[in-house]
Amino acid sequence: MKGDYPKDAIVNKIVVALLVAFSCASALFAQSSTPILSGGMQFVGTSNAGVDFFQPVISPVLAAPVGDHWLIESRGELQGFFAREDGTTGPYQGQFFTTFDYAQLDYIANSHLTITVGRFLTPFNIYNERYGPAWIRNFQDPAIIYTIGTRSTASSDGFMLRGVAVAHENWEWNYTAYFSALSNIKNLQSGRAAGGRTGIFLPIKGIEIGVSYQRFLQNGDYSAQGSYLVWQPPSIPFDVRAEYAHSPGGQGYWLEAAYRLAANRRNTAGLARLQPVARIQQFSAGTPSPNAFLPSRDTNRVDFGLNYYLPHEVRLNGSYGRQFTPGGNSNIWNFQITYRFLFPAWPGGSK
Amino acid sequence: MKTLIAVFAILSLSTFCLRIAARPQTPAPAQKSHTLSQSKAKLSQEGERRFQANCGRCHNSPDSLSPREVKAVLQHMRVRAMLSAEDERLILNYLAP
Repeated sequence: MKGDYPKDAIVNKIVVALLVAFSCASALFAQSSTPILSGGMQFVGTSNAGVDFFQPVISPVLAAPVGDHWLIESRGELQGFFAREDGTTGPYQGQFFTTFDYAQLDYIANSHLTITVGRFLTPFNIYNERYGPAWIRNFQDPAIIYTIGTRSTASSDGFMLRGVAVAHENWEWNYTAYFSALSNIKNLQSGRAAGGRTGIFLPIKGIEIGVSYQRFLQNGDYSAQGSYLVWQPPSIPFDVRAEYAHSPGGQGYWLEAAYRLAANRRNTAGLARLQPVARIQQFSAGTPSPNAFLPSRDTNRVDFGLNYYLPHEVRLNGSYGRQFTPGGNSNIWNFQITYRFLFPAWPGGSK
Repeated sequence: MKTLIAVFAILSLSTFCLRIAARPQTPAPAQKSHTLSQSKAKLSQEGERRFQANCGRCHNSPDSLSPREVKAVLQHMRVRAMLSAEDERLILNYLAP
């Protein structure tokens, strides 16, 4: 009987909970590192085929190391969407959405192995894990093929193994393998899937190439494959990133190049803060499927943009894109201001 | 009550161990100052190279951070960017000398 639960037991449980909380807090304070809160804030204005809308976004990341081997990390997103009532006319109205990108516990066994459990970003190709954060990506709109291997939520609930299998001075071989369970819990949705990614990184040449594979284990099992390339010559501030992905829903690629107007990567004065960027995409539609979250028609797109890196982690970005589809072409304009923040989550952590 | 005491003892012991682990290591015997500064500069240079090769692939170096903040960031990036323990040590030395 719930009402007959002994009071002493309740008091004991409360005391144990308080002791656990106290000890955890003491342990965190005692460390040589401090929990941090970082992430990005962004305001985006978009005009897509004549339809204007605005998106304020805040995306905080919590990273709380516990000792040298354990790490708790999490990222959420609060995003607003404001558009005119009838698309192109009427007053602006909108709403806010929340998403939970990851909440994971990591055990860093050594340089070769990290074990992750919880909700994590699906490691298919590189865009989702590396270039997804608002303060990192060069273009507001993700690539057309972004949903191949990541579907709608881009997150998985399950476990993951990752690390650098072999590391030499001139080359490294990294890997990631994961299993995700089906989840329909609000904000924690994920699909039942298994997959992995592996890549070779040549640090001296600044080149990384890799491949990804995913087997989606529901809705009539199917596979997705991908490959990627990153090139950053160390001598000049020029970046090239590219991905190719294939699934029954379609296949395509994107290729992005960015050049910082500086003699080297350390220069941050004047024009060196300016970075023109360009991206080209081609997508060929496959078998239409509502679960693929891909265009149902062949789509090509080009984007040109300009980043300006202001002091204090603020970045301005403007871009123009032209999308070509059999149903008609359209212009997409984006303007965004992004602020990257990082501060200790506990008082006194900045000492 | 015994459980309570046991839980408290285990947690206290783990806190104590973490405190011990977090203590700075005993410094090595003093060497000639110019040799030290030379090796420090070399370490910092290597740290910068590792930063550009790994972290610089996605973002610029952050504004000034305390060593405790840098350590947390690097632990986060060990998982995200698959940094090795050596990368972590050298980049820590570069960002928070």
